[in-house]
Amino acid sequence: MTNHTYTRPRVYVLVWLTLLALLAVTVATAFLPLGWANTPVNLAISVTQAALVMLFSMHLRAAHPLVKIIAVIGFFGIGILIILSLFDVLTR
Amino acid sequence: MAEGVTACAPQFDDAEQQRTASNLGIWIFLATEILFFGVLFAAYAITRVRYPEAFAAASRLTNLPLAGTNTAILVTSSLTMALGVHAAQHGARRAIVGWLSVTVALGCAFLAIKAVEYRLDYLEHLVPSLDFRYAGPQADQVELFFYMYFFITGVHALHVLIGIGCIATIAVMASRDTFSPDYFTPVDVTGLYWHLVDVIWLFVFPVLYLISRS
Repeated sequence: MTNHTYTRPRVYVLVWLTLLALLAVTVATAFLPLGWANTPVNLAISVTQAALVMLFSMHLRAAHPLVKIIAVIGFFGIGILIILSLFDVLTR
Repeated sequence: MAEGVTACAPQFDDAEQQRTASNLGIWIFLATEILFFGVLFAAYAITRVRYPEAFAAASRLTNLPLAGTNTAILVTSSLTMALGVHAAQHGARRAIVGWLSVTVALGCAFLAIKAVEYRLDYLEHLVPSLDFRYAGPQADQVELFFYMYFFITGVHALHVLIGIGCIATIAVMASRDTFSPDYFTPVDVTGLYWHLVDVIWLFVFPVLYLISRS
């Protein structure tokens, strides 16, 4: 019945270390004068961190396809919400 | 639920199918949570695009050292939660209780630091409606940032508080030997909720605390 293999603790520890390293990177880059690029860099790091947590800690990598679709729909919904709202504000 | 808990409820073929069903259920809930916070992020994005200078100035008034520490704490609590779920998968009762207790402690540390942060904000007259004073230009827009700041971090802190309650409950259940390698759905599902609260914070942190620090 329980025939699938579980994520090993070593993976969780590696994810944790990577998340902490990325936290240091995102704070460090915030102090670099990158101009408009600061925010995209911060957000790209956040997306990477979120992807690590969701794929490994939340087991999305080995999840049922239906579960993956639900997770993607959530973020897809946010994406549409934010991007279309910004279209309005930015083109006034 | 003491005697009713078997490896598999009658409506499922096997424990695996039962686990997938509850996984799907919690993920549907998590998707609504993502959308809930998504609305807040959308409101933030619109106001920030309209008032970039005011948001930059306001963001520099937030407490980066405390928020950075809190990020590290929450990320670490995600690790201890994952290890708790791992212990549940292998039926290690004492390890479940141990890891969940550490997770609860870290969650409480997060809230304590958050409370200190709010207090410092209050002392610096940064709380809209209650006591807001700002001498620079665009004071109204700076105040708008702090409305967002308190609402988003406040709602997130509420989620942390609820998470702490759930994890503590699960820890008590685990100590009473409720779970086995065939049945640990509550541990699993609570873990997923906790990880999502962590994921949301990973976006809250840069958008509120890291605007134009350079």
